[in-house]
Amino acid sequence: IFFLKMKILLLVMLLCYSFAFSSGDTTIHTNNWAVLVCTSRFWFNYRHMANTLSLYRTVKRLGIPDERIILMLADDMACNARNEYPAQVFNNENHKLNLYGDNVEVDYRGYEVTVENFLRVLTGRHENAVPRSKRLLSDEGSHILLYMTGHGGDEFLKFQDAEELQSHDLADAVKQMKEKRRFKELMIMVDTCQAATLFNQLQSPGVLAIGSSLKGENSYSHHLDSDVSALYYFMNGMYITIGVSVVDRFTYYTLAFFERLDIYDNASLNRSYDPRQLMSTAYYRTDLYQPHLAEVPVTNFFGSVMETIHTDSAYEAFSSRISNSKINADMPLDQHPEHDLKENLQNANNPNDDLKNEKQKCPYTQMRADLQEKLEKLENVDTMVNLSIAVMVLVVIVSSSLL
Amino acid sequence: MEESSDRLNPTADTSGIMPEFDAQTMRSSKPGLKRLFITTTVLFSFLLGLPFLWKSVEIYRSPLPFHDIDSLSDQIESTPLRFPCNYHAVFVGFPSTDPDKLRSDIQDGINQLSHGKSQCGSCSFSISVTVQNPDEHCSETLTIDPTTCSYRCGVIKRNTFGVGLDDAVDESLDDVFSGCSGNSGKMYSVVVVNKENANGEDEVRAVVGKRRHAWIAGKGLEERYGEVVARVSEIFVKVFMNGGREEDSIHGEFMPVGSDGRIVLSFSLLNSNPRDWIYDWDFQRIDEALLAPVTKALAPIANISVESQVLYHTPKSSFSSWDEKLQSYIFRTSDLPFFVNSNEWHLDTSAGASGRSKILQFVVYIPSGKECPLHLQLPNGEISKTNGFISPMWGGVIVWNPGNCDKDSESPSRDTISHQDLEQIVKVFLGQFRQLFGFKSEAFYTSGLGTYKILPSERGFTEWELDVLSRKHTCFNLHSCSTTLGSLSRLVQSLPRMIIKDEIGEQVKYSLKAAKLAQSNASLGGYSSSASSSREARSLAENAFFHPSIMSVSYFSYEHCFAVYSPFFLPVAGHVVLAALREWKRYRQEKAKYLTWLTRKKTA
Repeated sequence: IFFLKMKILLLVMLLCYSFAFSSGDTTIHTNNWAVLVCTSRFWFNYRHMANTLSLYRTVKRLGIPDERIILMLADDMACNARNEYPAQVFNNENHKLNLYGDNVEVDYRGYEVTVENFLRVLTGRHENAVPRSKRLLSDEGSHILLYMTGHGGDEFLKFQDAEELQSHDLADAVKQMKEKRRFKELMIMVDTCQAATLFNQLQSPGVLAIGSSLKGENSYSHHLDSDVSALYYFMNGMYITIGVSVVDRFTYYTLAFFERLDIYDNASLNRSYDPRQLMSTAYYRTDLYQPHLAEVPVTNFFGSVMETIHTDSAYEAFSSRISNSKINADMPLDQHPEHDLKENLQNANNPNDDLKNEKQKCPYTQMRADLQEKLEKLENVDTMVNLSIAVMVLVVIVSSSLL
Repeated sequence: MEESSDRLNPTADTSGIMPEFDAQTMRSSKPGLKRLFITTTVLFSFLLGLPFLWKSVEIYRSPLPFHDIDSLSDQIESTPLRFPCNYHAVFVGFPSTDPDKLRSDIQDGINQLSHGKSQCGSCSFSISVTVQNPDEHCSETLTIDPTTCSYRCGVIKRNTFGVGLDDAVDESLDDVFSGCSGNSGKMYSVVVVNKENANGEDEVRAVVGKRRHAWIAGKGLEERYGEVVARVSEIFVKVFMNGGREEDSIHGEFMPVGSDGRIVLSFSLLNSNPRDWIYDWDFQRIDEALLAPVTKALAPIANISVESQVLYHTPKSSFSSWDEKLQSYIFRTSDLPFFVNSNEWHLDTSAGASGRSKILQFVVYIPSGKECPLHLQLPNGEISKTNGFISPMWGGVIVWNPGNCDKDSESPSRDTISHQDLEQIVKVFLGQFRQLFGFKSEAFYTSGLGTYKILPSERGFTEWELDVLSRKHTCFNLHSCSTTLGSLSRLVQSLPRMIIKDEIGEQVKYSLKAAKLAQSNASLGGYSSSASSSREARSLAENAFFHPSIMSVSYFSYEHCFAVYSPFFLPVAGHVVLAALREWKRYRQEKAKYLTWLTRKKTA
C-alpha cells in the first residue's frame, strides 16, 4: 500500500508540475508598460509628485514611450501659487533637473485620480468613449510596472484625501488581470508608510512586489528644499522660509541606481536598500515571482523591448496593376459570390443584421449617398462651382431685367 | 392607561353574603378585545409589508446561464475541434498502379507526418485516388460520399501538361477541379504527372497553386514510388493543412485580431528630415487597387480598416555606420529593436480605432540626407533585399531610400513616390502582413524532400491559406470565448451582491449561441462561416466581461442596506411591537382577573 501511495503522490506531483509548465511560460515578452500613480494632492505633498515625475522621466529615458505609460497625477504643483519656480518641479535641492519639462503627458490629472478610475485602468473596464491613450492596452506578453506613492497605512492607501484603496481591492484587481491575461509579469513598487501591508492579500503568480517600509514603520522624505516653498513668516525681524521636502528616501535611492543606466545596459534587478539610509526596511515580496531576482535584467520592466523578425522577401503578387486599377480590382471580386453561394449553411440571426438592412432601405440617405458619389467623381469641382455661380448670376440678371 | 373597572355598588347587592371584591385582582366584566385587535392589526400590517420591502431592495441580477458556460468550456477543452477536409490525388500516366494501394500508402504517410495527434484546427480527412493510365483509362478508389464530384477521365493529358507558365497551368487545373467543393469541407487535390519525354528538364517540379490544387510533374516517377507518395502526403499535411508553417500550435502572437474582431492598418510615411527632402504618396489609389482585395479576402477573419498619414521630423533612435565597400550606411539586425523611436514617432493617432481593436502600424521610413542610402545588413553579411522587418503584434517597418541621394542645397525638394516604387513597397508590405499572420513572406516551401513553389495571389493569401487562417482563428476565438465566459461566471458567482445588467445577460446568451453555431459550421465544413461566427462569439464575450458596470467597488453590501433602512424602520417597528406585546400582556392579566372574580362568585 505504501508503494501505491508513493506512486499516486508522484503522479499527482508530475501532473501539477506539467500543468504549471503548460499554463505558464509559453508566451514571449512583447512589450513593457508603466502605470505611475501619485495619490496625494496639495502643496505639502510636493515630494509625492516629484517622486512620480522622476520615475516617469526615468522610465521614458530607458525606452518606454508615452503611449505605453499611464500617468495619474493630481498635477497641482507646477502651477501652484506657492511655487517659487513656476512650471518647474524639482526632485533635488540643487535644482539641476526640471522634471516638468516639455514632454510630460499626464493621462489622469486633478480629480480624475480616484480609486474607481485606478481600478478601471487595471481591469480594463472603461466606458466606450474613453480614448485609447487612457487605457492600459497590455496583452499577455506585457510586463507592467506599477508604482504608487502617497500616504498609506495598514492595508490601505489614501487617495487624494477623500477615499482609500484597500489591499483586498488591489489584490482583486490583480487577480482579474491575471485571469484575463493582461500581463505576463507585474512589478509593484509602493513608496508610502507601511507599504508592505498593501501586498498582504496578493495571490496571483507572476507578481513581484517591493515596498518601502514594513508594518509599523514610516517612510521618510529625503531632504528639504528651503527654496521651493513660498511660505514665509516674520520672526525677530527676519524672514524665515519653511521648506517642502522634495523627494522620498526610497525613491531617491532607486533613482540614484537608475541614473547610471541607459537603454543598452544589462544590470539586474537585485538591488538592496540600506535600512540605515532609508530609515525603514525595504521589503521584497518574491514568493509569487518565479525567476530569481539576480537573473532578472532591469530592462525586463524598465526598458523598451521589441521582438523583431526580418522580412525575407517581397510577395510578388502582381505586376503594374495600378494603371488598370479599376478593371483588375473587379476580377478577384467575381470569385466571391460563387464562393459564398457554395456554402449553403445557416447564418446567425443576429439583431445587428436587421439593423443594417433597415439602414440601407432608407431612400433619402440612398439618394444623398448617390449624390455624394457623383460629386466625388468630378475631377474639377472648383471650375464646376465657378460655372454654376456664373450661371446663377446670369439668371438673376435676366429675371430682374424682365421684371 | 388606567382603566376603571366597573365598581359594583355594594348597596345594590341583594344577596346575603357579599364576596370580597378586590379591584386589584378581580374584575367583574369580561375584558374587551378592541385594544388588542387594534395593536395587532398594526403589527400585522407591518409584517405584511415586509416582503414588499425586501423585493424593492433586491439587487437586480440578470440570470446568467452558468451551466451552459461550463458545458461549453468542458466541450472545448476535451474535444479539439476538427474540420472535415477531402483529399483527392490524381495520378496521370501511371500504367500499373493500384489506386487502393496508393490510397493506403498516402494515408500512412499522412498519419506519420501528423504524428497521429489531433490538434484543434486540424483536418479529419478522407482520401480518394484516381489513376489514369497512359491510354486514358481511369481507375478510382471507391468513395464513401457519392456526391463529391469525380475527375473526368482524360482531361489532363500527360504530354501537354505543364507546358507554359505556371499561372496558365494553374488556371487550367482550376477549370478541371472547379466544380468540386462538396457539402462536407473543401476538396484539396494533387495531380502527379508522369511525363514521357521531358524536354531537357530532368528534375521533378512541385508547384502549389492559388486555389486548392497542387501538381508534381516529372519524368520516370513510377520508379520513384515511395518518394512520390511521400511528397504527396507532405503537400497534404504540411502545405494544405498547416499552411507551410513550422509549428502547428496556436500561438497568440501571430493572431493580430483585436478582441472586437477588428484590425486597423495604420500606414505612415515618415520623412525623417524634411529639410533634405519631402516625399508624399498617392495612398488612395493603392488602397483602392491593391489593398481592397486583401481586405475583402480576410473579411471572415477580421473586419479590416485602413488609415494613412504622413509625418515629418521623425528621426530613428538607433545608429548606422558608413560602409566603404557597400557605399552605403548600414544598420544591423541587432539595432532593429531600437529602430522605432516611439518618443518622436507619433504613430498611434487613430481616431477610428475603438479601445479593443488591434492597430497594426506599417511605417515607410525615408532616411535623412546624412544617412542616405540606408541598408540593413543581415548577420551573414548580406544586404537585405527588402530593407524591412516586422515586430509581431505591432506591425512592420520598411526603409525606402530616395533614388537620388544628393540633395539640393537650396530648398528641400517635394516629390511623390513613383508608382513603381509604391508598388514595390506594397509588395514588401504584403510579405510583412503575411508574416504577422504567421505565414512566410516568400513563395517557397522547402522540406527534406524538395522545394515546393507556391504561386502568389493578388489577394495576399491563396485560398488554401485562407482556409488555414479560418481554421486556426476559429479555434483560437472559441478557446478565448470559453475562457472569458468562464472567468465572467466565476467572477459573478463570487460577488453575490453585484448588479448584473440585462445587457450583460444578453451578450452572454448571444455569445453562446454564436459559439454553438461556429462549432456546428465547423463540423459541416464551412470554414469561413465558422470563422466569422467564432469571431462574433469572442467579441460578445469580451464585451460582456469588460462591461463598465462590473466594478467591485460599487456594489451594495448587506451593511450598506442595513445602514440605509434602519433609521426609518427600527424606531417605529420597536414601538409597534412593544405596544402589541404590552396589550397582549394586559389582556391576559385582565382575563385572569375576570376568571378569579368568576370563581370567587361561584364559590360564594
